[in-house]
Amino acid sequence: MRHQYRQPTRVLCAGLMFALLVVASIAQGDETCNSPYMSGLITGQEDYIHVWTLGEPGLGDGSDKLVTIDVNPASRTYGKVIATASVGGRGEAHHMGFTDDRKYLWAGGLDDSKIYVFDVGTNPAKPRLVRTITNLSAKSGFIGPHTFYALPGRMLIGNLSNSTDKGGVTGLALYNNKGTFITKYEMPTGTVGGVKGDGYGYDIAVNPAKNVMLTSSFAGWNNYMRNLGDVVKDPEAMKHFGSTMVAWNLKSMKPIQVLNVPGAPLEIRWALGPGQNWAVTAAALTSKIWLIRQDSHGTWAAKEVGTIGDPAKIPLPVDISISADGKGLWVNTFMDGVTHYFDVTDPEHPKETYQKHTGRQVNMVSQSWDGKRIYITSSLLSKWDKTGEDNEQVLRAYRWDGKSLTTAFEVDFTKEKLGRPHHMKFTAKPTAQLAYAETAR
Amino acid sequence: MSRLHAAVGAAGVICASAAALSAVDPVAAVAPRLEFTPPRPGSYVLQKIQPVANATLLDEAGRPTRLSAATTGRITLLTFFYTYCADPLGCPFAYHTLMQVRRGVVEDSRLAQHVRFLSVSLDPTTDTPEVVGRYKDMVMRDPRLDWNVLTARSVRDLLPVLEDFGQDVSVEQAADGTPRRTVHHMLKMFLIDRTGMVREIYTLAYLQPEVILNDIRTLYLEEKSKG
Repeated sequence: MRHQYRQPTRVLCAGLMFALLVVASIAQGDETCNSPYMSGLITGQEDYIHVWTLGEPGLGDGSDKLVTIDVNPASRTYGKVIATASVGGRGEAHHMGFTDDRKYLWAGGLDDSKIYVFDVGTNPAKPRLVRTITNLSAKSGFIGPHTFYALPGRMLIGNLSNSTDKGGVTGLALYNNKGTFITKYEMPTGTVGGVKGDGYGYDIAVNPAKNVMLTSSFAGWNNYMRNLGDVVKDPEAMKHFGSTMVAWNLKSMKPIQVLNVPGAPLEIRWALGPGQNWAVTAAALTSKIWLIRQDSHGTWAAKEVGTIGDPAKIPLPVDISISADGKGLWVNTFMDGVTHYFDVTDPEHPKETYQKHTGRQVNMVSQSWDGKRIYITSSLLSKWDKTGEDNEQVLRAYRWDGKSLTTAFEVDFTKEKLGRPHHMKFTAKPTAQLAYAETAR
Repeated sequence: MSRLHAAVGAAGVICASAAALSAVDPVAAVAPRLEFTPPRPGSYVLQKIQPVANATLLDEAGRPTRLSAATTGRITLLTFFYTYCADPLGCPFAYHTLMQVRRGVVEDSRLAQHVRFLSVSLDPTTDTPEVVGRYKDMVMRDPRLDWNVLTARSVRDLLPVLEDFGQDVSVEQAADGTPRRTVHHMLKMFLIDRTGMVREIYTLAYLQPEVILNDIRTLYLEEKSKG
């Protein structure tokens, strides 16, 4: 029998709305730090923050979990934890990323190399674990899945280590959205463009207009799963941090240049304004801001352009967040617990115009697309977090008026028996739309 | 007949006209920025992303057609559409892109015989075989290149295909929960090799005709090298 649903768009001329969607998608990526291939940009008030949280032995169920917090001020549960999705084990929860349709969050464990896929599209207020991928090491030889970067229909994973010696030489793994392994790409260890690669990996960031992908470099399992104090005291271990970035031809997925960026360059952010074809990163160990852009001959170059705090004190810049207009950059320094704001209107000369002590240890920083709200979390790695009273484990939300941060709310992850909060992603309540499947019922 | 149907009947005529107009004279749409020279065909490998789902759809004559049969034997560029999506930056944007790719394909007669376009309707209720057949005659038919069109018996029959391709579709909802007249879908195109394997997916940031054309040539060269 022919189904009776009468598609109402029969008379539609839906063009205008569709056009708006199209234009929005062309103009921008996502809330300033996500893959440009992702749909569903949240330009206004986000409703939920999902926090990928490391389990803590003896605290709650002790497992890694996805914690969902209501962050809409108009909601009666504003600032409250409204859902948790435990994965039933502890594997060093760290980063996560949306699929291109923004319906699923892939979240990785740096220790056990498991990848968890959460459904955040059906009901973002209550994410649900729908798949666990356990074959990363067997299929690729890589371990420590860090960055989850959406490409159309697939997920590119930037890893930190390898299963052979657990050092920093690693690569990228490509899966389709169904969780099937497709292929892998080794980080270059040879000389490319006159510079020798170190083979290390960390973040991924794509500029489609330039057909270029940048990757950065951190350290292998041997370092990130070891107490930070021990690592710092071990001269041999300190040699095993990344000191390069790589520019790739995105279409061919071949390295085209290795760039010298000493001191473990971590997060990469492309400026998102029209025609802004530059990116920035922060080198954790040297506390420097680096600018990556093409010279007049089209060659990519990395240039040190700024200092974050006092490098002699190793403040350890860990996360950065660029504003949608490419004029401002938030930087969190872990050791001194400071959130910095840099004016990067002239990216060659970033100027720090504001800073605030936001915690005893601060790690991730995420901002809304409109730049009016930022959120920070405290945990870096289970073996690198501070101890005793300094081991504060919180998510703090702030309002930003362009001049100063004011506290909106905070969630104490220890009191709530949740664990150590790390990476954050935003979602919004579904708009007044029916999934197509609903119309078929 | 639904109340929505009854309420908006007249507008359908307007939309049909707009669709026809757009088909004849698609307004030039804004393509994603392309500030690079696409890599030479054959100088790179397109990964095998996923096989095409096995499903039965309908051709313009209403004949059951296996999607696997419609997407094998040639290099296929598949896109989802609906006939009344008339805004120049909506489906016609995809159409405009396809026109540019088609121009590049037919300029190489050896290539053209190895390539087809396939458009699958997102709205089987409105886009009956007869409707998509008329649409094909109006805007797709070209003796130099196969451009096929499929629809489905029902939304229910189409859903597994959409899910398999990761083609997100939703319908606006009124305050009382009834569907409105606006369909949202993420614009995607799928490049499929002659064995039915998806080898590239283009969304707006990727929707660059020169790149798509080079990808088609890359698959052609790959298949040619296999003999």
